[in-house]
Amino acid sequence: MDKKYGVYICTGCGIGDALEMEELCEVPEEEGLPVKTHPFLCGKEGVELIKKDIADDGVNTLIIAACSRRVNYDVFKFDGCIVDRVNLREQVVWSHPRSEFPALTEEQKDDEEHFDRLQMLAEDYLKMGMAKVEKIDLPEPYKLETLSKKILVIGGGITGISAALDAAKAGYEVTVVEKESSLGGYATKIRKQLPNEDPYENLVPPVIEAKIKELEAYDNIIVKTDKIVARLAGEPGDFTVTLKKPGEKIEYDVPYPLPEEMKFDESGKELDVEEQHKRYLEYNEGKLDILQFDPDGEKFGAVVLAAGWRPYEPEGDEFAHLGFGELPDVVTNHQFEEMAAKGNITRPSDGKEAKSVVFVQSPGKGDDDADFDYCGSVTSLVSLKQAKYVREDYDDGKAYIFYQHMRTPGLLENFYKSLQQDEGIFLTKGEVVSVSKNGDGMIVEADNTLLGEKVKVQADMVVLATGMVPVTVDDPVINMAYRQGPAFRDIGLFDGYCDSNYICFPYETQRTGIYAAGAIRRSMTMEESIEDATGAALKAIQCIESVNRGVSVHPRSGDMTFPDFFFQRCTQCKRCTDECPFGALDDDEKGTPKPNPARCRRCGTCMGACPERIVGFADFNIDSVGSQVKAVGVPSEDDYDEPPFRIVGFVCENDAYPALDIAGLNRLSYSADVRFIPIRCLGSMNVIWIKDALAKGMDGAFLLGCKHGDDYQCHFIKGSELSDIRMQKIGDALSSLALEEERVAQFQVAIDEYDKLPKMINDFVELVEELGPNPFKGF
Amino acid sequence: MTDKYLIEPDVNFVREIVGLGGDTLKKCFQCATCSVVCPISPDTKPFPRKEMIAASWGLKDRLVGNLDIWLCHHCGDCTTNCPRGAKPGEVLGAVRSYAIATYAVPKTLGKWVNSPKFLPILLLIPTAIFIVLGLITGLLDFTPGGEEIAQTKFFSTWLVDMIFIPLAVWVVAIFAMGLKNFINDIHENALLEGKTDKKELDFVGLIKALIRVIPTILKHDKFSECTENKDRATAHLLVFYSFIGLFIVTNIFFIHLYILQWHGPYSQLHPAKWLANISGVALIIGGALMIWNRLSKTDQTTAYKDWYLLGLVLGLGLTGMLTEITRMAGLAGITYWTYFIHLVFVFNLFAFLPFSKLAHLVYRTVAMAYNEYSGRQ
Repeated sequence: MDKKYGVYICTGCGIGDALEMEELCEVPEEEGLPVKTHPFLCGKEGVELIKKDIADDGVNTLIIAACSRRVNYDVFKFDGCIVDRVNLREQVVWSHPRSEFPALTEEQKDDEEHFDRLQMLAEDYLKMGMAKVEKIDLPEPYKLETLSKKILVIGGGITGISAALDAAKAGYEVTVVEKESSLGGYATKIRKQLPNEDPYENLVPPVIEAKIKELEAYDNIIVKTDKIVARLAGEPGDFTVTLKKPGEKIEYDVPYPLPEEMKFDESGKELDVEEQHKRYLEYNEGKLDILQFDPDGEKFGAVVLAAGWRPYEPEGDEFAHLGFGELPDVVTNHQFEEMAAKGNITRPSDGKEAKSVVFVQSPGKGDDDADFDYCGSVTSLVSLKQAKYVREDYDDGKAYIFYQHMRTPGLLENFYKSLQQDEGIFLTKGEVVSVSKNGDGMIVEADNTLLGEKVKVQADMVVLATGMVPVTVDDPVINMAYRQGPAFRDIGLFDGYCDSNYICFPYETQRTGIYAAGAIRRSMTMEESIEDATGAALKAIQCIESVNRGVSVHPRSGDMTFPDFFFQRCTQCKRCTDECPFGALDDDEKGTPKPNPARCRRCGTCMGACPERIVGFADFNIDSVGSQVKAVGVPSEDDYDEPPFRIVGFVCENDAYPALDIAGLNRLSYSADVRFIPIRCLGSMNVIWIKDALAKGMDGAFLLGCKHGDDYQCHFIKGSELSDIRMQKIGDALSSLALEEERVAQFQVAIDEYDKLPKMINDFVELVEELGPNPFKGF
Repeated sequence: MTDKYLIEPDVNFVREIVGLGGDTLKKCFQCATCSVVCPISPDTKPFPRKEMIAASWGLKDRLVGNLDIWLCHHCGDCTTNCPRGAKPGEVLGAVRSYAIATYAVPKTLGKWVNSPKFLPILLLIPTAIFIVLGLITGLLDFTPGGEEIAQTKFFSTWLVDMIFIPLAVWVVAIFAMGLKNFINDIHENALLEGKTDKKELDFVGLIKALIRVIPTILKHDKFSECTENKDRATAHLLVFYSFIGLFIVTNIFFIHLYILQWHGPYSQLHPAKWLANISGVALIIGGALMIWNRLSKTDQTTAYKDWYLLGLVLGLGLTGMLTEITRMAGLAGITYWTYFIHLVFVFNLFAFLPFSKLAHLVYRTVAMAYNEYSGRQ
């Protein structure tokens, strides 16, 4: 497209008061770009002014220097135009008051001693915006040749059935795949369910039968029992799924990636690509490669993974101190539920009535008060429910619950309250230390209870509140024909649950188009699972409809760009395939990546990873960012006696950039010598930009991104962590240039920590000032 | 098997406490707000948090012989601040009635005092005794003559003393028996729960401690620390001092009668008469205030045991004063029969003292003395 530029500067919101507008206008004018100012650009008149230029003069590339791009984005949206927003408000005038950054007096102008830091900041940002728009293009959507709108639901339990119903009600075709011979899953094996309606005090009969019946009434739902997924290939909107019977071996069984240790020869040297591929083929003999699509496979647009859980199975003498394994009357909550479903509760040892039952919520015997593995509020609630069974079965029955945590979220607090009222139910916090045989029954001993330091109670049965293990712990289930492997990547944080961030992005897994619901995501009750299923079904629909429009699903919803590879220069290093947090790339046998844009979340991690710098987006690429870096004015001693320092900050646009805006909104001020460049994620940070900056004579560079580690906040899971690793490597490069490593740093910030930013920035500026100016300055 | 850690919940005990006005006890979720807000709870092993869980678990042994239930003055601060509406103050009140019934024999009488069903019997007992004994001895004269109205003409002083002196002995005996067990129990419980480090019970020390707490009781120091029910302390103080006043008056006139051989009615100018009249008025005001407080505090439960005692207190004051007024007004018939009712009330208050809520005057005093003695912080 032929670009016709137009620069529009707003003088409202204090911009015109703080800055020398005439000088600012000279910046684009010198480059021959038309520039207009307006005191209220986002107002009707201001927008009309822009629209008129677009209509009359054919302006199609706009640089709008006004407020942050995070506000008024709908106002400054013009179809068919490239728009860049230069943030003069939040990150220039609001965060750099004239009281601290004074304007020059007439005498001070051009005296080679004084300079106006604020004016320099504004002019640099304007230059950067102009440089950027020169290098970017309008995106065109990625459209699939064929699009399937069908939804595959894996798992025919209460979650899967609920998800299928919700999706079907919304008008989508659904196929439910169940590995057992009938639907229903665990929900069919219980005596009663937790309360699901006001007053939330009474147990209810299982609802599963009614759900199954409801399902049968929909002719847009197909149920396939006795089936599992052998492989799922392709991308959202165009998944090709091969089903098989459990236990069957077929050529479309998904191949596994070569284990790490097999990539090396006996001497420990890494094998070359061909040799590795050979081994990979041997390792997966009888299975077709992932790029081989099953011609008989069924097409789906998106997947709801509701494969559920299995009861935790204690290993060996894990709970020997609680008598498990040794005393037959010590059982898990799952075993207890099975007994309760059959009839009155009796002791497994002799069939006598179990009238005194102790429920143990935490295994104890450790340094912490943790509950059993894979527990949650559901185990608290199940214990309460099962205590109620004891009371239902026997008028003089007694149920004791020893807990470290009693979790009864939401309205289920009412259930807890009602059980408290039961005169035969006894609750106390406490650490159960032992269960021992005592004549006919057992004695349970607990420490640090609410009743005193130590108590003992007599028990006919003891029930351990063991957890719900997501089936993805044992098996990939989803069996994706993805180069990164058939399962969700284990990033060491989720204990086998398939999730990518519980709090911020429920239902999202690490694979686009596959949405988890129910107990595979976290331990949850049936009532919660039913609700969860709705969420996942809606996500699946959102995915299909986004793919249909050729835009990103999440978290950059609606983004039309996608990574473009300049394959002629690819060296098959596989770094992009390996590092993509979402497994979007499948390389071929040579190692050339095959992009699957619909799987992509547009974070740009591939772009940050590529040493050849051949990956880019229409509006965000190596050149567009590099040009912004180069557009920053770096004054040297030729310009001023003591030139100001120049530092570039690459800022994650998800959390760090908004935090900077909020700092501005709160009028928190910080150094005016730093230039910020927003990037999609720190994972998209290519080290060449830092080299560019330092080569140009800038004195330092830093990255501002999300927290990583256990409580990571990265929208793309690993972006800030990956960039941290990359930054460690840059240290060597810097020292070879005789530059101090300290000139480059990475900081973590949460979106609500805006108040910490000024200190963070100023401390770094101070540190760089202490190091002195970049010796390459002025070359 | 005697394992001090082994606990066996007693569901019947829970039901009884519920019936005695502790119906909210199971609502407690052990946040301990009650122990924190209680102005009079000690720092070591504070109450009533632990009493609440013991009650909901039906652990009778931990409650009946627990001195802390008596240290509680039922301010109601805990009840007001309880986030769950578990009303710890009311629960402890119910536990106290249960404890009173446990220590007083015969147990049947305890049951009668705590149940409205048996109120007619409680009133019939003195009536029957008065009439039968009065007719046998001829000391009850239904047609007293003469110009001057004197209660003794109708219901002879000899008859009064013939009934009430043995009754006093009986009450003391019952209390003595109960107290023996009570002191042993609270000591054992204090040792078990670590409230005291004094292994052996030393009675001399206990009595010295008793003397030390008497000023506290007289000044209602503990009661006045309550914030929620400040008015209750005033009413209690009125009733408390009127009883002391009336006790002194009774003794003075006892000396008059048996030592100085002076017979009543005594002159209104007599100092003891002043005391008697002031006490009588205070009793009526105090009793009325107590009832008023109960009625206006809708968030607090008032059980039958409370109404029984309050009714007696107010009835006692009213009939007493009415007897005097009608006597001076020359209304012979009315004054004699009011006097009769008055004596029925006195009998109830007196004879059933070890069984009614009023027994707290003994148990709480002993518990406070023991707590002082125990050296607990």
